[in-house]
Amino acid sequence: MATVTEPVGASVTGPTGSGGPGGRLRGTWVQALLVVAVLIAGYWAARLMGSPAWAGGFPTGVGESFMAWLDGIYEWIVANRNDSPLFLYFFNYVSVGLGSAVVLINQFLTFLTWAGVTALGVAVSWRIAGWRVALLVLATFAVFALSGLWNEAMTTLSLIITAVFIALLFGIPLGILAGRSEGFHRGLRPVLDFMQIMPAFAYLLPFVLLFGIGNPAAAVVTAVYALPPVVRITALAIREVPKGAIEATTSLGSTSWQLLTKVQLPMAKRTILLGVNQTIMLAVSMVVIASVIGAGGLGDAIYQALAKINVGQAFQAGLAIVMLAIAMDRVTGAVGHGAHTPDIPRRYRLPLWGGLLALVILVTVVGRLFDLGGWPREASLDIADPVNTLYEVIQSSIGTFTAMLGTWTLNWVLSPLSALLTGSPWWLVVLVAAALGWIFAGGRAAIVCGAAFVVIGLLGVWDNAMDTLSQVLVASVVTIALGVVGGVLMSRSDVLAAIARPILDAMQTLPPFVYLIPAVALFTIGRVPALVAAVIFALPPVVRLVNDGIRGVSAGTIEAAVSQGSTKWQLLTKVELPMARGSLLLAINQGIILVLSMVVMGALVGAGSLGFDVVFGLSQNQLGLGLASGLAIVCLGLFLDRLTQGRRAPRA
Amino acid sequence: MSTQATEPEPTTGASEATFSVRNLWKIFGKNADKVIGTELEHADRDRIKEETGCTVAVRDVSFDVRPGEIFVVMGLSGSGKSTLIRCLTRLIEPTSGSVELDGEDIEKASEQRLRELRRHKMAMVFQHFGLLPNRRIIDNVAYGLEVRGTPRAQRYERARQMIDMVGLAGQENAYPGELSGGMQQRVGLARALAVDPQVLLFDEPFSALDPLIRRDMQSEVIRLQRELNKTSVFITHDLQEALKLGDRIAIMRDGELVQVGTPEEVVGRPANAYVADFTSDVARTTVLTARWLIRDAYPGERTDGPITAPGTVLAEVLPMLAASIAPVRVMEGEALLGYVGRDDVLRAIAEDQLDDSEQVDTIVEETVEEIPDGAIDHGDVTSTGNGG
Repeated sequence: MATVTEPVGASVTGPTGSGGPGGRLRGTWVQALLVVAVLIAGYWAARLMGSPAWAGGFPTGVGESFMAWLDGIYEWIVANRNDSPLFLYFFNYVSVGLGSAVVLINQFLTFLTWAGVTALGVAVSWRIAGWRVALLVLATFAVFALSGLWNEAMTTLSLIITAVFIALLFGIPLGILAGRSEGFHRGLRPVLDFMQIMPAFAYLLPFVLLFGIGNPAAAVVTAVYALPPVVRITALAIREVPKGAIEATTSLGSTSWQLLTKVQLPMAKRTILLGVNQTIMLAVSMVVIASVIGAGGLGDAIYQALAKINVGQAFQAGLAIVMLAIAMDRVTGAVGHGAHTPDIPRRYRLPLWGGLLALVILVTVVGRLFDLGGWPREASLDIADPVNTLYEVIQSSIGTFTAMLGTWTLNWVLSPLSALLTGSPWWLVVLVAAALGWIFAGGRAAIVCGAAFVVIGLLGVWDNAMDTLSQVLVASVVTIALGVVGGVLMSRSDVLAAIARPILDAMQTLPPFVYLIPAVALFTIGRVPALVAAVIFALPPVVRLVNDGIRGVSAGTIEAAVSQGSTKWQLLTKVELPMARGSLLLAINQGIILVLSMVVMGALVGAGSLGFDVVFGLSQNQLGLGLASGLAIVCLGLFLDRLTQGRRAPRA
Repeated sequence: MSTQATEPEPTTGASEATFSVRNLWKIFGKNADKVIGTELEHADRDRIKEETGCTVAVRDVSFDVRPGEIFVVMGLSGSGKSTLIRCLTRLIEPTSGSVELDGEDIEKASEQRLRELRRHKMAMVFQHFGLLPNRRIIDNVAYGLEVRGTPRAQRYERARQMIDMVGLAGQENAYPGELSGGMQQRVGLARALAVDPQVLLFDEPFSALDPLIRRDMQSEVIRLQRELNKTSVFITHDLQEALKLGDRIAIMRDGELVQVGTPEEVVGRPANAYVADFTSDVARTTVLTARWLIRDAYPGERTDGPITAPGTVLAEVLPMLAASIAPVRVMEGEALLGYVGRDDVLRAIAEDQLDDSEQVDTIVEETVEEIPDGAIDHGDVTSTGNGG
């Protein structure tokens, strides 16, 4: 590995200059371009020499034996699921317990009848979030009913309730521990960091291994996926309790338990509820994705419809999920900030709750008298057909254009890039990854980046991983370019910002799964719609971060720059963007991580590659392939995250 | 350079003191133990920081707090005074030394015992109040009683009394955020008083308040101190506040006590240049009392001047002297302590104005030499007072 010094050396002696941060940044980019040039040169060299043995893809031997080993484990699990004490006394119990919890909640919702569920939802959301949100909830239930997906929606709700319950059961105590013990916090944080950069798709397989396919695995995977925010924010909330309050109450002789229950938890309550809100939103998005591992409900409806390329049906289920997500966000968000909570005097609060409960019971009794259950499917409005008609109109009018755009992207951008990555000697790609890590984030990141690529190779999914990476890179460039432009425009105009903000908010609450629907509607299936979905999905946070960063530049600095005669363009390029550098870097990091998670999900619309291997592994019981692909996705995530975290100190 | 005026008054035995602090050290950082007992012990802060990475916050501090007094610890920010007061209730664990409260060593107390002490014997008032924003005023005030298990009715009754006492009657059900800073600190005071502690610890309680409100609160503390007969340790960076409240003042610098004494001692006889510099802006006539300047009558001097108490400040003695040629007679009850004449007060004022007692001395001596007949005959009394 003597060659390692070559790109690295170039980065050190490159035109770094001793100028300010701007100069260093430019130097960094020059170095990065040099490294990329080396890669391209290597690719052509290998090609012109007729792809000699030393310049091929990663040797697959190790990977294949690894997959075989994983398959062996899977077979062992299948064979021993009913004998091994670990499964007999633990996983199977958990599985059965969770399965029954989901069923039980579902039965309870059915017992309430559609009328009772609606009354309950509307009453509760009115009490904690005001009448606007109550109307929104009513509309959501109406969508469930009229789209003919009432029962699916109830299944999804049951799954969400179960998963969130598990997540909070473990998450809040973990967060409290982390909030009170520095050592525990230090140990936990890297784990949470890692969990948050892992694409949702990578979570699926290990849990299938343990719990089999179906609702229990879906509930657990959703709970695990949704866990980090509540732990993190609970810890933060406990930590943020003012030191003065802790000191004062300690000085009055509080025990540690009294400190927790009388001071820390009450003062942290609001913030913790914010974490609960985020956890619920993550659960909503994961429960939909979990349809891939056999979770029923709305996600499954979309999954089925997408498989048949029935845009109308997918749209119908997607609308239900969108409504569900927005309503959930509004209701649980209101618990946190309490802005629209009706102001009811203390002494009326309990009677009011009693009254609402009585109302729900009354409605339920009436519902049962009339023998209502879930909303009857016959009494639904079918919007699938009109949407399909509209879809065909769109396809016939702009279909040729989008197809052209798609083909062009495929032929001139995606395929060459993919060929470059898969066609170059594997060791050169590893070195380039390490060199880029070194340039952008320093020595430790270089090791992580290089190691991530080696592991991908060892897993035996090199070609697919490189293909996925090429998709991620293209989508990321588009996302970041659009996001920066959008963010700058938004920061220029208050009117635009006022219009865009609620839209971006809403977009950020939606489960990523639903973004596949418009992408398919415009670009049918393949790699391009996956890219489009990834861009749409990752764009809102990027726009927001750029806008917030620019708007966060202090008015004093701007005033000073204007007073020295800066033009608007100079102001933007010389003052605002450089000062918003932190936000920009974060926007890039977030954008790329989100793009990755969406690109692998694109397998469901024919994007192939790693995501497809995960799905294929699941459906064909080739767990080895699926798990290896899942791990490769994790490695890609690690690489992209480290690369874009910049030179900030390691999060320790 | 360290003029250690930290030795407690010999008349006060440790058993009489409420707080008895001996050789207290607080060093922040790893290897803190390695400083004490080595030659580094005497090195200055910067050197210790350089060699061990430790920060010395409190350095070998000893003092006694007498029952019923307000003991003020005064110093600039970073002098270690806030650390010192936290060591008294072990909100910060001292590195070494002992703190005795009524003869019991707090540093050796178990967690349990420490909690008992905090619940019953001492209570603290904080600069930033430390109120719980999610609790009503009455629940904030009752907190100390709540954690020690007092039944609700009883603790509310007590809390209500305290709220009345600090002048917040009617605000029981308000939340801290609805009150002004001054009112919030009254709540802090009421909360500390609610547990009926023997000792009150004040950590710069009024620094965050407006000057006018600060003055009110200072008077409030003096009033409560007199009514309730508590012992207080009061931290401040404001010399005026120290002089107004303190029965005795300890001046702290770089973690050490530079001087401990009454306000008069600190102003009238500063232990070193630092204290002198510190107190130079104080108008002496408002701090020094007649006791400070008493002398015997000069031979042949009239002894039928106006009568005043030894605690009268010079500013109030001045008009009496304006009305009388004879020196003021300083009497404590029936006993005649001595006399204070125009010359004494003028000299004190001169020292105050010139900021330099040697220069005053020189000018006086030169003048006496120039006009030997017209000068005042000082007799044997040359020093200024005996300090009481």
